Amino acid sequence: MPVPFEVQRTADETKLLIRGSLDINSAPALAEEIDKIVATRPAAVIVDLSGLDLIDSSGVAALVKLYKGVRGSGGAITIAGARDQPLAIFKLLRMDKVFNL
Amino acid sequence: MFDEAHPHTFTSPPAWLFWGYMAATIRISVPGTLRYRPIAVRAVAEAARLVSASSPRDPKNPTIDPLAHDIRHPFDTAVVSAFMEIFNNIAIHAYQRKGGGTIEIEITPSKDAIVIEVRDDGRPFDIDDVAPLPTELDEETLPEGGMGIHIAKTMLDEMTYAPGPPNLWRLCKRLPATQVAVGRS
Repeated sequence: MPVPFEVQRTADETKLLIRGSLDINSAPALAEEIDKIVATRPAAVIVDLSGLDLIDSSGVAALVKLYKGVRGSGGAITIAGARDQPLAIFKLLRMDKVFNL
Repeated sequence: MFDEAHPHTFTSPPAWLFWGYMAATIRISVPGTLRYRPIAVRAVAEAARLVSASSPRDPKNPTIDPLAHDIRHPFDTAVVSAFMEIFNNIAIHAYQRKGGGTIEIEITPSKDAIVIEVRDDGRPFDIDDVAPLPTELDEETLPEGGMGIHIAKTMLDEMTYAPGPPNLWRLCKRLPATQVAVGRS
């Protein structure tokens, strides 16, 4: 059950749009894409969560992996648009401050 | 009920909503694999909405599946978020992603709370072995795992686990008094 996501690449940045439910069933497919993104050592990554309705700890782990991978290679990452249940989860885990949500 | 004019305001659900079926228990049995997780999550989401009386996010937009993704009310958010983590835990730890057993779910919505009992016959889980989240969270200490039980416990008013067989998770979430319908007994 792949999560609907889309990657948009320009010369300056990589944009990842995630929609629907990012959970234990859908996160593995996104994780493969995350590995590809991190491997390119992007200078700037934008993650758009405005279309994300539902997330669980597996989905959070995938985003943390992306965050650490991009930052670890010296890139900048912006996570934006979290709302409703996903935002509640990030706040509960106190990740909203790290991610600047 | 969700107030269209004031999207962040929730008022008491109407009393008629609860006539006839409150405190009835919904029982579902699903194979203990992640394949059947969406079915169980949908049932729990709908039961949570019986208590919170939240409305669909956008009734005019047929592309939004209200059963699958419309988790917006804080009560629904807490119940569904916690249940998803417990189901994950059972499929991964109790049944070790191999299935072979069932997950028995009993959902009891009432006028001001929901109680969910989840039973499995898999390997018992050592809940005391769950590490707490880092006290100071920054880029270095961001956790990449071990968050599920923390999410469930924090979202709920009560969560207990008794190793079996069958292993029993009992989850309870209460609706704040200000959101409980007036006039029901």
